[in-house]
Amino acid sequence: MIIKTIDICKSFGEKVALDHLSLDIPDGKIFGLLGPNGAGKTTLIRIINRITIPNSGQVLFKDKPITQEDVMRIGYLPEERGLYRKMKVGDQAMYFARLKGMSRGDAMDALKDWFVRFGIESWWNKKVEELSKGMAQKVQFITTVVHKPSLMILDEPFSGFDPVNAEVIRQEILRLKDEGASIILSTHNMESVEELCDSIALVNNSKLVVTGATDQIRRSYGDSRVELVYTADAALESVPGVFTVDSDIIEAGVHTAMLRLDKTANEALAAILGTGVAVRSFRELIPRMNDIFIRLVTGEGR
Amino acid sequence: MNFKTISTVISREYTTKVRKKSFLLTTLIVPIVIGLGLFIMIQLMSSIGTRAQKVAVIDHTGGIVLPYLKDNSANTYLDYSNEQEAEIKGNLEARELDVLLVISELDSLNSVSLQAYSRKPLNVEFSSIVNNQVNEAIEAYRISTYKDIENLRQIIDDVRSNVSMTEFLLDESGNESVSESGVYMAISMVMGIFIFLFITMFGTMVMSSVIEEKSSRVVEVLISSARSTELMFGKIIGVALVALTQFLLWIVFTVGIFVVLSAVSGGFGGADAAAMMEMAGTGDMAAVTAQGGDAAVIVSTIAKIPWGTMILSFIVYFVLGYLLYSSMFAAIGSAVDNESDTQQLQMPLTIPLMIGYMIVFFAFKNPDSATVFWSSMIPFTSPIVMLARIPYGVPAWELVTSILILLLTVVALAWASAKIYRVGILMYGKKSSFKDLWNWLRQK
Repeated sequence: MIIKTIDICKSFGEKVALDHLSLDIPDGKIFGLLGPNGAGKTTLIRIINRITIPNSGQVLFKDKPITQEDVMRIGYLPEERGLYRKMKVGDQAMYFARLKGMSRGDAMDALKDWFVRFGIESWWNKKVEELSKGMAQKVQFITTVVHKPSLMILDEPFSGFDPVNAEVIRQEILRLKDEGASIILSTHNMESVEELCDSIALVNNSKLVVTGATDQIRRSYGDSRVELVYTADAALESVPGVFTVDSDIIEAGVHTAMLRLDKTANEALAAILGTGVAVRSFRELIPRMNDIFIRLVTGEGR
Repeated sequence: MNFKTISTVISREYTTKVRKKSFLLTTLIVPIVIGLGLFIMIQLMSSIGTRAQKVAVIDHTGGIVLPYLKDNSANTYLDYSNEQEAEIKGNLEARELDVLLVISELDSLNSVSLQAYSRKPLNVEFSSIVNNQVNEAIEAYRISTYKDIENLRQIIDDVRSNVSMTEFLLDESGNESVSESGVYMAISMVMGIFIFLFITMFGTMVMSSVIEEKSSRVVEVLISSARSTELMFGKIIGVALVALTQFLLWIVFTVGIFVVLSAVSGGFGGADAAAMMEMAGTGDMAAVTAQGGDAAVIVSTIAKIPWGTMILSFIVYFVLGYLLYSSMFAAIGSAVDNESDTQQLQMPLTIPLMIGYMIVFFAFKNPDSATVFWSSMIPFTSPIVMLARIPYGVPAWELVTSILILLLTVVALAWASAKIYRVGILMYGKKSSFKDLWNWLRQK
């Protein structure tokens, strides 16, 4: 575990921001921290970064209580981020790299590499106020990762990017993971979560709702939905207590039905076959992260 | 605190501020204004000096008055007592004289009457200067007639010193006390105003810099790489270095501009620039306005001022006063989202500064009054008021006590400000009140 939080509580006055939150964030993986606005994600990230002190509980970094020196090595891209508007891009990137403890020479080499990789060498002497929002976000991303941190915390890294550049960033995140970095990704972009995150945690109303490997969680919320493709003279009817037909679309005599199962797949399939339809395919539907997120947050539960 | 981090913060703060156009402008404009002002002032002074009037004096008192007529930059007195009044009156121009001054014999009241003849209008100060000097001569003569009263001169001086406050003109020409207090007043005011301006100017600079980082959300990025105390004190020290740089550049440029101007104008009636600088340094406005042009008094007064203490205390009070106010300005800056919200929160800082500034204007009237004493002890006004007091002489224990109180307050308030700053920089949205600041201070 690169980060382990144990029973963290934090309140601001009357308002409870985190309520006994315990999380394990695995090493060398991309970890998705999900939750609606105001759930307490930013507070948790700030506690990990030692910006905010928790009322109780502990953060372990590689199994030891986290220290300021550990934090200095974290690459943190906050959700609300900005650059000095009047400062030149190059000077600014150097400043952040130097603050992270890099020597002038190392910082220069690493920054030049990144600027070339993103094809933005020509921005070095531009002032930030001359850049578009997306351009500034690229610079931000570079300043977060330039010192090769072993842990990166990226809060909404894709905001402000067009689809092309968002893809560039996605690829860079995967590349950093391949190089051995651990990444905590907080985002509302659920497609990215499915594509990138090995495991996730969902926080709602200051509490942990669910945490685990992404595939397992998706599967665990998908065991009752099935896509059935069949041909028959009459549309399939629901069988109370076994399955319910949510929708049925006919195209060129082929039905595509969405079923919700109340029994196991075997029993449901037997019941379906018993109605005399010709089954072409029977496929378990793994729900999109988006749907799981909405279901959990709006309180439909399991 | 990590030294490397804080020095990185300081160097960014310093380089970006020094490269700003506004820094360049103030650095250039102030010396140009001061340099030009000095230059014009000295031009005026020297032009007065070259037009000293030649005054022919016919003294019918038999040498009682004449020795009291002392040459100065405006008038040169020449003894013509042995010549004919009418003869000189008709030949002023031929004899290269500007004025004929006739002093009558002593009358029964031991007094004289004066007549002045000239071809051009006399300059404004002529009659007051001559009247004063003649009065002094008559006074001295009358005193000398009271042979049976011992130390009469001293008695009269003692008596006069009680009323001299209103007799400004009389004292200008001879009595040192008013000239001295004029010089003290000027120096103490300059000191007070200077430190007031510096604290306000650079304190607000710290505040704007904090607000800039907060409103642009840069601070969110910074706060994981550096502790809030490192950020805050790095900023404060960086701006202090900017202040120092500006101050040094002002001195260098002012001297430079002055020397260049002097060189271009080809010196002043043969006098070289260095001598002029000396005059400028010692003369100030007082020298120009002093009606007798009695620079010697001013020079001797200036020499009496404890400059060592003065400069040392200026540095100490500037550094401590700046630290006190800039850390509070930083805390205020951290509590607002943008510059326009600072007005209300800034009040408790600007009011004591203004009070200190105003007390300075009254300090010279009564440097030992209770108000002045206490305001030079209270740390929020002491940097301004104590500096203004120093030219008048301040007992060492008062100085030390005042500095100690200030130092302790600086430590306590810097600590409190750092706590407020730590919470404030990450607070957005609602307008913060003093109650919020107090809560942040107590937050763990």
